[in-house]
Amino acid sequence: MAHRGPKQAAAELLNRLAVDLVMGEEAGGEPWRASVEETLKALSQVMAEAESFEGARLAADLAQEACSASQNCIPRLSAAIEELRALTEGISEPAPPPQAPAALAQDPELLSDFIVESREHLGSIEVQLLTLEQEPANAEAIHTVFRGFHTIKGLAGFLELDEIRQVAHEVETLLDLARNGQLKITPEVIDVVLAAADYLNRWLDRLQAAVAGGPAPEVASPEALLARVRAMLEAPAGSAAPAPAPAPPDAASAQARPAKEAAEESDAKRGSAERTVKVNTAKLDYLVDMVGELVIAQSLVRHAPELAAQTDSRLARNLSQMARITEEVQKTAMSMRMVTLGRLFQKMARLARDLGRKSGKQLEFETFGEDTELDRNIVEELADPLMHMVRNAVDHGIEPPEERAAAGKPPAARVTLKALHQSGQILIEIGDDGRGLDRQKILHKAVEKGLVEEGAALSDAEVFNLIFQPGFSTAAEVTDVSGRGVGMDVVRKHIQKLRGRIEIRSEAGRGTVFSIKLPLTLAIIDGLVVGVGQHRYIVPIYGVREMLRPSEEQITRLENRGETVMVRDRLLPLVRLHQVFQVEPKSAEPCESLLIVAEAEEKSFCLMVDELIGKQEVVIKSLGDMFGAIPGIAGGAILGDGRVGLILDLSGLYFRTGERR
Amino acid sequence: MQTQEALSVRTGGGANPVRSEERAGKYLTFRLGREEFAIQVLKVREIMGMQDITEVPHTPAYVKGVINLRGKVIPVVDLRLKFGLPEAPYDHRTCIIVVQIQGPGTPILTGIVVDAVSEVLNIAASEIDDTPDFGDGVETPYLLGMAKTKGKVKILLDIDSVLTAQELQGLPSLVQ
Repeated sequence: MAHRGPKQAAAELLNRLAVDLVMGEEAGGEPWRASVEETLKALSQVMAEAESFEGARLAADLAQEACSASQNCIPRLSAAIEELRALTEGISEPAPPPQAPAALAQDPELLSDFIVESREHLGSIEVQLLTLEQEPANAEAIHTVFRGFHTIKGLAGFLELDEIRQVAHEVETLLDLARNGQLKITPEVIDVVLAAADYLNRWLDRLQAAVAGGPAPEVASPEALLARVRAMLEAPAGSAAPAPAPAPPDAASAQARPAKEAAEESDAKRGSAERTVKVNTAKLDYLVDMVGELVIAQSLVRHAPELAAQTDSRLARNLSQMARITEEVQKTAMSMRMVTLGRLFQKMARLARDLGRKSGKQLEFETFGEDTELDRNIVEELADPLMHMVRNAVDHGIEPPEERAAAGKPPAARVTLKALHQSGQILIEIGDDGRGLDRQKILHKAVEKGLVEEGAALSDAEVFNLIFQPGFSTAAEVTDVSGRGVGMDVVRKHIQKLRGRIEIRSEAGRGTVFSIKLPLTLAIIDGLVVGVGQHRYIVPIYGVREMLRPSEEQITRLENRGETVMVRDRLLPLVRLHQVFQVEPKSAEPCESLLIVAEAEEKSFCLMVDELIGKQEVVIKSLGDMFGAIPGIAGGAILGDGRVGLILDLSGLYFRTGERR
Repeated sequence: MQTQEALSVRTGGGANPVRSEERAGKYLTFRLGREEFAIQVLKVREIMGMQDITEVPHTPAYVKGVINLRGKVIPVVDLRLKFGLPEAPYDHRTCIIVVQIQGPGTPILTGIVVDAVSEVLNIAASEIDDTPDFGDGVETPYLLGMAKTKGKVKILLDIDSVLTAQELQGLPSLVQ
């Protein structure tokens, strides 16, 4: 159902009335009168709604006259109809309601497809714009941006998303001029086009919320933006006038060096886009579940005692072939959840550009390894901390141009963002060549805050780690970008939540590098399978420091304070797993048990279990809604024999015992 | 028959007096102690023999733990303990019925341990009565009603409320 304006409705009613009048001259009679009256009443209502009260009154009067059969109303109506036509002409079409109900009433699937596709286009538009800023004459980049807006315009028109269509249309016109060489690409043009892309992104957010059924955030009217675009369209109209002087290329413009590489990469991506399939994540999860089962079934068959007695070499060969294939299938299934860091890095490049322009610092932003793949969930969770760190680098790390000149550094600072594989983990580094962390200032601040004692001998690493303390900030002034002292502690929390670690290297005057080590995926962990009595538990290996069988001297029992173990000159609290979980152990004697030195949130403790059964890579599964949060348990996993093992939550275990005392 | 009619006027289950027509349909019946219970077949995903259950600490006694259902971890509830009946040793007739119930938002698969599974029955509306009021003021909203087929009474369970409710009252007085 198309959205019909009141003007059109009134015109239709008037036409019907005119037809009735012609018919009426022959027909007359009661049904005719009823029809005329009904039409007039409807007309009156339409005109009243359109706030044309004069017309509404006239139509209502006529309706009354028409229904009184005593007189022939045809001449009167014929005369009035012209008057009504004139009045309907005066109806102003109200602006369509901002909700764009027509669009939201669309098939949600169509709308979701539109959102996904538009986001892809906007993503590549952003990359190409950063390229253009670098090489304003890059025709291929202009074409790509143009094509992106053109496609969005077409789709939005089809879905009756008027604001989106309008903005895309105006920008497309602007880009068309640029394509034909009638408009020079200046940083201002790029600003406007980026603003338009941002605006469209906000609209997509809104549509997405609407599709999900949640409250949709308001989006401002596009008028201001359209005015900016139109103003630019006007400018080159007097084509004889010199084109607006291009801003000096080095003036406060952040430069994105890898833009060219990024452009090539995105070209390659466009080529491969047709060969990808979108799959529902639930299906993927199911596949991963099933493959996990396949691996278990396979291992049960391989280790069946009946087969162990077999000596047939062909059977043995086939079995190991099956094992290899299963492993390969599992790897492939797991890799399907991975996405590249490309888009996240793009976001950071854009952020750095904006920050650079805002703060008047020149910077080159370089990215490496954006093809590196990581679990989707991790990439999503990584956006916030990375953003924080890029802000910090631009705002605190990099000196203003004068200071750089005084230090004999090139005026444009370098900020690098790189990702690489390192021993089964992902390493992400954010580096700048700025002033570096100021050891003295941090120490001073820490003493002031009572975090360390005056004159304490701390290594560089220990000093730098102080900036991860909550509320710690050495920035002298607070800008709207950073320096509020909430930041690095949040960054570290985020990284720890992803089971990662963050480290700092810094050299005064040479710059700072933050390196983040992350697991490839959140779905799988390496675990130690341990036993307590009949029960099997999985201890995440990233929290395990060492294992030992203590001697009697190492154990100290404190009155009402529990037990402690002396490990390498450190007194660690002893947590008996059988006590926490209230299960029957093989032995309640620490010296006959195995102690695992575990670390959780910077605290170490000894976890007492009966025995170590093995080491296994397990897929983490939720225990389900029925359980809620069980202290000490992070989830479940399917063990090699097909049974479920519980994965321990080390910090939950530690803090649980702390609370008990 | 007369007394049954009189009883059914006052519904013990009061909270949700479901009309008997809506309750008619296919039921899976199973045994718990000496009583026969029935749940709607539509809720049942599968029936499996007893298997290793991994205990989960800090949970109520009726939660036996979790099992691996083809790669999914699902909870298992012992229905005897849930109803406050004495625990019975598991034997070769003990079964886990996997049911799908409506959780907050998403459907949840849960296993329930029963003494033995009996059969699938078509229960007609005319065979179903409302839950009688036991006169002790205890509400039993998790009971859909009682069915009399082949001369025996079967207790129709609303398995969703059985599994989502924290405490179940009133059943021991019914089955003992």
